[in-house]
Amino acid sequence: MLMDPALGRVIERCRDGDRDAFEEVVDRYGLQLLRTARLILRDPALAEDAIQETFIKAWQRIGTLREEDPGPWLTRIAVNESISSYRRRHRFQALTERFGRLGGGKHGVSSDQRLDLAHALDQLTPEHRAAVALHYYQDLSVEDTARALKVPVDTMKARLKTALRRLRELTGSEEATA
Amino acid sequence: MSDQFDQNLRDHLHHEAEEIHEFPRRLRGRIREGITPRARTRMAPQLALAGALVLVALAVLVARNPQVIIKDVRSTITQLIQPSPNPTPQPFACSDRSGGSNGLVTQLTGIRVASHVTDGYDRIVFDFTGGVPYYDLTRQESAEFVRDPSGQALTLEGSAAVKLVFRDTDVASGVQADMTPRLTSVREIAQLGDFERILSYGVGLSSSRCIRVQELSGPSRLVVDVAISPSASATAAPTPLPTQPAATDLGPFTCQDRGGGAGGGPTMQLTDVRVAHQPGYDRIVFEFAAPAGGTARVPAYALSRQASPNFVKDPSGQPVTLLGSYGLRVVFQQASGAGTYSKSRDIVASLPVVQEVEQLGDFEAVLSWGAGLSRESCIRTLELANPTRLVIDVQTP
Repeated sequence: MLMDPALGRVIERCRDGDRDAFEEVVDRYGLQLLRTARLILRDPALAEDAIQETFIKAWQRIGTLREEDPGPWLTRIAVNESISSYRRRHRFQALTERFGRLGGGKHGVSSDQRLDLAHALDQLTPEHRAAVALHYYQDLSVEDTARALKVPVDTMKARLKTALRRLRELTGSEEATA
Repeated sequence: MSDQFDQNLRDHLHHEAEEIHEFPRRLRGRIREGITPRARTRMAPQLALAGALVLVALAVLVARNPQVIIKDVRSTITQLIQPSPNPTPQPFACSDRSGGSNGLVTQLTGIRVASHVTDGYDRIVFDFTGGVPYYDLTRQESAEFVRDPSGQALTLEGSAAVKLVFRDTDVASGVQADMTPRLTSVREIAQLGDFERILSYGVGLSSSRCIRVQELSGPSRLVVDVAISPSASATAAPTPLPTQPAATDLGPFTCQDRGGGAGGGPTMQLTDVRVAHQPGYDRIVFEFAAPAGGTARVPAYALSRQASPNFVKDPSGQPVTLLGSYGLRVVFQQASGAGTYSKSRDIVASLPVVQEVEQLGDFEAVLSWGAGLSRESCIRTLELANPTRLVIDVQTP
């Protein structure tokens, strides 16, 4: 998608190092990106950290943005940043739980438990949550979701299918459809 | 049925996402702090050419009339070392604001107020040492405030107000805690709080006004201009103002486990643990110092909530039950209190929610503490400097 001329001028000012112009970009896209990161990470503080990192990277790389709408470009950075952040945190948790330092943490869910959607989403992998967030929350097409996550369209279709099946299992909707 | 599930999922995701109502001002400030100014490389050739032309012109003038040039140069230097003049005035805006430098530790050294009736505004100047700290400015439709940390109500002169909160800032002695300039717009300025390096001020206004904020250097100061006319130079439609003073400016409470701090580097030394009740929350503070030659940081930590006050001591494996019905555990990596923390390792707090705080382990640079809570509560954490500390606020009813 091509950039509208007014936004193009803002991006041009960003390329010239104008921080006020960049704040206009933050104002325009920040909330949507933060909400998406929150859906992926399931943690408000981590989501804020991921979005901070997203915009700092965007500022550093804005010279590479071509004459296209920055929305998908920023979404791609934000989703990658969210998934990386989740993995870093998960590694730390796994380590501490392994040595018995932490009593808490998420545990597997047995098949006879029925979860609400919020808890079912907690059980998905961050990659699946990212796919679900972009397709069902941001209303991106399967093709655009695949493009944002840099995977082939068929892979994205399979990923969405797997995520939905898992959500149905966890919420008990599988039985309802049978 | 499948379509119904998809629709439910869509509705749920939107509902969950929209729990975030607006982009946090604090996050905007962090981003602004994180982006460094870039050189305008594409202007470099033009600037170089302009510079060369100026030098040529100066050389010609010096050759013709050296006295005039010396006088001009002296005048220019005098201007440079004087406090920076106001840049091009920004327009007034009827919205909240934040800015300054995140993480900068400063001291407020003075507050000045002046009337600029002919220019259409009242001016408040906050002077700082070493830079303008991170600040939040919020407008409100009443002049009522809550003092931090006492929770006492305070009503300033006027019918509207703005609140300014400075992070990592304390106040020098001699700065007035309350002044009543009674100008056209600015009626009263009072300190609301000076606690854990969060410094806040309320400004009572004659009525709702638009604001202009400028951060200036030489000396470092934050200039807050309050328009005299309710609609003066407003660039945007006024945003609706809250009628009640905000309960807190320290960030939201969340009902989830969390982590933070910084890993790597030397083992941080625990020096103090404090527990106290504040209006709306119980506060647990872990204070750290760096070993000789090191730089202090809040060590990496994981904070987890649990549905019982039962814990296991590390490394003995001995079970321990704290007072209360719920628990909170914090585990610090690369931290220890051995030899540096000499106070009680079992603090019976008996606060509204936090009942007891006890050390669970201090072994191989993994330091853990548990808290027994009287009820399930949401939490908020703050990582503060000077001294370095992790603040855990546990929400109270």
